Amino acid sequence: MNKQRVTSAILAFLSVASVTAAELTEAEFQKLHAEVQQDNTALWRTVPWRTSVLDAQRAAADEQKPIFIWAMDGHPLGCT
Amino acid sequence: MIDRALIFADPVVVELIKTKTIPVAIDQWNQRRQKDSEGEFYRKIAAQGPRHDFENGTTQGLYMAAADGTFLGYTNNRSPERIKAFFDDAFKKHHPADTAKLKVETQDKRFTYQPPEGGLVVRVQTKVLSGYEEPETAFAQIFQTAVSRDNLWLTKEEHAALVTGRFPESAARRLARYHLVDNTRGEGPLWEQRDLVSQQITLDNGKITGHVELKTPNGERSYSADLLGYLKVSQGKIVELNMVARGDFFGEGQYTGGAPKGKFPLAVSFTLADGTDIADSIPPQGSRGWVADYLR
Repeated sequence: MNKQRVTSAILAFLSVASVTAAELTEAEFQKLHAEVQQDNTALWRTVPWRTSVLDAQRAAADEQKPIFIWAMDGHPLGCT
Repeated sequence: MIDRALIFADPVVVELIKTKTIPVAIDQWNQRRQKDSEGEFYRKIAAQGPRHDFENGTTQGLYMAAADGTFLGYTNNRSPERIKAFFDDAFKKHHPADTAKLKVETQDKRFTYQPPEGGLVVRVQTKVLSGYEEPETAFAQIFQTAVSRDNLWLTKEEHAALVTGRFPESAARRLARYHLVDNTRGEGPLWEQRDLVSQQITLDNGKITGHVELKTPNGERSYSADLLGYLKVSQGKIVELNMVARGDFFGEGQYTGGAPKGKFPLAVSFTLADGTDIADSIPPQGSRGWVADYLR
């Protein structure tokens, strides 16, 4: 009886382990690739960000506007 | 993430930026170090603000300056109302005047980032799929639902290998070390070579499959991920590349606290960049200050 229980427990564990470590299916790939995307309609994306302060300086001189600098650790248009 | 979700989601703030300023977004980690025209102009502005320990401390925040480098203001606040007040104050201080345009007289090669000629840029986006407890703050809510963004650069030789149906080992190693990271709550720690326990990524008839095991020696962080993807070749070039990595992640870094407890599911999507996204031009986080090592 005990042996049967142990065997059942091992089989249950292996079943769960195989689910956790299962390879990605085609459907999962499609779903995750669509889900793990930034929002392309976010408002911050409508700002014409430059990525060089010298480029910005030249434009600021041309248009006589101040330079607004978004300075972060990690690129602000990327990971942070 | 916080800035985008709070400051730059406010229509009035965004309109002010678009109509009354010349906006620039930078990873100041570079500009505060680089010994060239770009770095010198940035430091000229930042030195007038409250954060000017360029060797040891961050200078991150929001700055306003005139074209001649005159400091008009600084804030690191995320409230849209405070930002509007900051703008009002800066605009009052700004006096439009003829200013000479600065030239790029010197370029510090350590901080000059160009994607490899003939290579590929691949968008990398990451998300924690589940496992968080109820967020206690608005900031935590933003981090818990965030999708991070980076770029994977592939060399001309790696591009050519993919075209011929082989997934090069160098690309697999770079992908694992620098891009299978949890950077959804800030700058995530990258993996060292010693952390790469095993990797197997193969390409067969346009289908990419693989498995990667990453673990720090002290067991503080780990990621066990399966990969599946597809690429298309046309006229000797990769024209489509879509891939996903998914697996159990464990741990957090100095700047990515608040991870779910225990192991949690993390997914990373890869998509060939076409230059239409605002972030397609940014260099990979892993290439900071040493592009050659990143591309090795």
